[in-house]
Amino acid sequence: MTSGFTLPSRFGRQGLGGCYAPETLLQPLLDLEAAFVAAASDPAFQAELKAELRHFVGRPTPLTPAPRLAAVLGLRSLYLKREDLTHTGAHKINNALAQALLARRMGKTEIIAETGAGQHGVATAAACARLGLSCTVYMGVTDMARQAPNVARMRLFGAKVEPVEAGQGTLKEAVNEALRAWAGNCNKAHYILGSALGPHPFPTLVRTFQTVIGEEARAQALEQCGTLPEVVLACAGGGSNGLGLLVPFLQDPLRRIAVEAGGHGAGLGEHAARLDGGRMGVLHGCRTLLLQDDHGHTAETASISAGLDYPALGPELAALILDGHVEVRRASDEEALEGARLLCEAEGILPALESSHALAVLPALARDGVTSVLLGLSGRGDKDLSTYQARTGASA
Amino acid sequence: MTTPRTLMNPLLPFIMAGDPSLEALPGILSAARALGLEAMELGLPHSDPIADGPVLQAAAHRAIQRGATPRRVLESLAGLTDSPDLILFTYVNPLLQIGTETLIRLLAPTPVKALLVVDLPYGEEPAFEADLRAAGYPMVPLLTPTTTLDRARGILADRPDPGPGSPFAQRFAYVVARLGVTGTGQGTDLTPVARRVADLQTLGARPLAVGFGLSDPESLAAIRALGATPVVGSALVQELANGKDLRTALLPRWTPAT
Repeated sequence: MTSGFTLPSRFGRQGLGGCYAPETLLQPLLDLEAAFVAAASDPAFQAELKAELRHFVGRPTPLTPAPRLAAVLGLRSLYLKREDLTHTGAHKINNALAQALLARRMGKTEIIAETGAGQHGVATAAACARLGLSCTVYMGVTDMARQAPNVARMRLFGAKVEPVEAGQGTLKEAVNEALRAWAGNCNKAHYILGSALGPHPFPTLVRTFQTVIGEEARAQALEQCGTLPEVVLACAGGGSNGLGLLVPFLQDPLRRIAVEAGGHGAGLGEHAARLDGGRMGVLHGCRTLLLQDDHGHTAETASISAGLDYPALGPELAALILDGHVEVRRASDEEALEGARLLCEAEGILPALESSHALAVLPALARDGVTSVLLGLSGRGDKDLSTYQARTGASA
Repeated sequence: MTTPRTLMNPLLPFIMAGDPSLEALPGILSAARALGLEAMELGLPHSDPIADGPVLQAAAHRAIQRGATPRRVLESLAGLTDSPDLILFTYVNPLLQIGTETLIRLLAPTPVKALLVVDLPYGEEPAFEADLRAAGYPMVPLLTPTTTLDRARGILADRPDPGPGSPFAQRFAYVVARLGVTGTGQGTDLTPVARRVADLQTLGARPLAVGFGLSDPESLAAIRALGATPVVGSALVQELANGKDLRTALLPRWTPAT
């Protein structure tokens, strides 16, 4: 029997991705792919999505020149793609809204989501309120504590936030619980996965709905600067932001860099840097680079940023990296905090801790002789105020 | 029309390797055999059991804490003859990390006769699955409430019944009784699964086991009355964790063939 999927489910020379899902979820995944393919060629769906992205999300987001920060770093030019200015404050809304529209089109009335930093949870809760869908968000208890403002926002939008106590209480456990919940209610519910991971077709869906970031940024760069930068740079947790920005630049003669969370050390369990520390494995439905122990048990991870604190790299981004299309850097917790400080002081923009990891590698790029950079500012830092205050001594 | 069938196995129990302990495992398997059980599912504990409910998640977590790594579990089964045929119930990543060759070498001296890999649909790891089948370790096909009858036909053909000459462990298809994850379901409505089993029985004479949410003697008897083997998992794992012995836990749940 063939899998029944019509889109490619594997990425790159090593065939990452796939659909390692329990049988209960296979038919729902087949149905989802069919609905996605149909919607992609339906002008009415595309028009509705475009209108919502414009009038509800606030797209296009600006490409902001950051000349003072560029001067501090010794760069000739630095541009920021401002996903922090979207409604709900991060790139997550692009995918959440599109999948919510798709779910409604499929006749689903309930939405399940996982969240790490809470940005995907907030975006999904907002999209569900907007479209009249009921929403349950699974969130690890550690993340609920460190991203409390986002928990409050989800609840204000009418979402039910289910605390996940298992393991480290972070994104990995939240995905486990969301997958279980979906298996129990897949007839009525759609699972809006927030990152470019999970079983096929999720990685492809999420990447498709996020490449609006890079498509806009590329056109804006050409319009505002007349030329493309030497480097396009984004942070990468699961990979939705990284793919969203970098994929539209794949054919261009420039360097594409994804930044992983270096956490507070180089040992297994002290970071979330999958390229150096990870081995090929299967987690949450896909084959990819995975932080794991010798027994194939998923390793613990650490990062100051909840959104990057995940043991697997999305399969398509991992494939692009392994096949040489995207470079990888890592930034430590301390370096990310310093990156955030620089942006705040030079440009008056408070970045999310996730985005701060991309900012953190700018000094090294400048030292290496890079002169122009386009950086994906994936989200705003209001949710991280308490961490910034605690770690930098800034008072309220 | 229903194909006539012989009920090969009145009960298929599931236990988690390493819970309560790996040391206790040979004794439990021996007790199972003494009860007359032909086959049994043995869970290989995994860190991220996405298809398991709270009871089996907790059991896997305890087992891992106590050092029940996949390799140690398989090594502890080596040379055991006083055991039912085992179906190793697990997730794909630990097996991939062991590697096909080593896995087959580790399985050879054990009573394991088949694998049930929850997150491995047919076709995702074709070489791995073909090598294991060739070595005598077929994958158990899973049929759930979302599996259409057409799809079920395909799944049963992909993972075929080796026929009446082979043991139950290598022949049966696992019918998931309800949506969701493993766990004790109080008052699970058996009407849909009864209809489901009847539909699946029209596809051929393959033995069927039915699991997820079954624990009380009445539900188990109702599954037997359909001509299928009931699986009892979470309830048994919980009782073993609470200190009950296998015999005491299983006796009320079946009547040995006379």
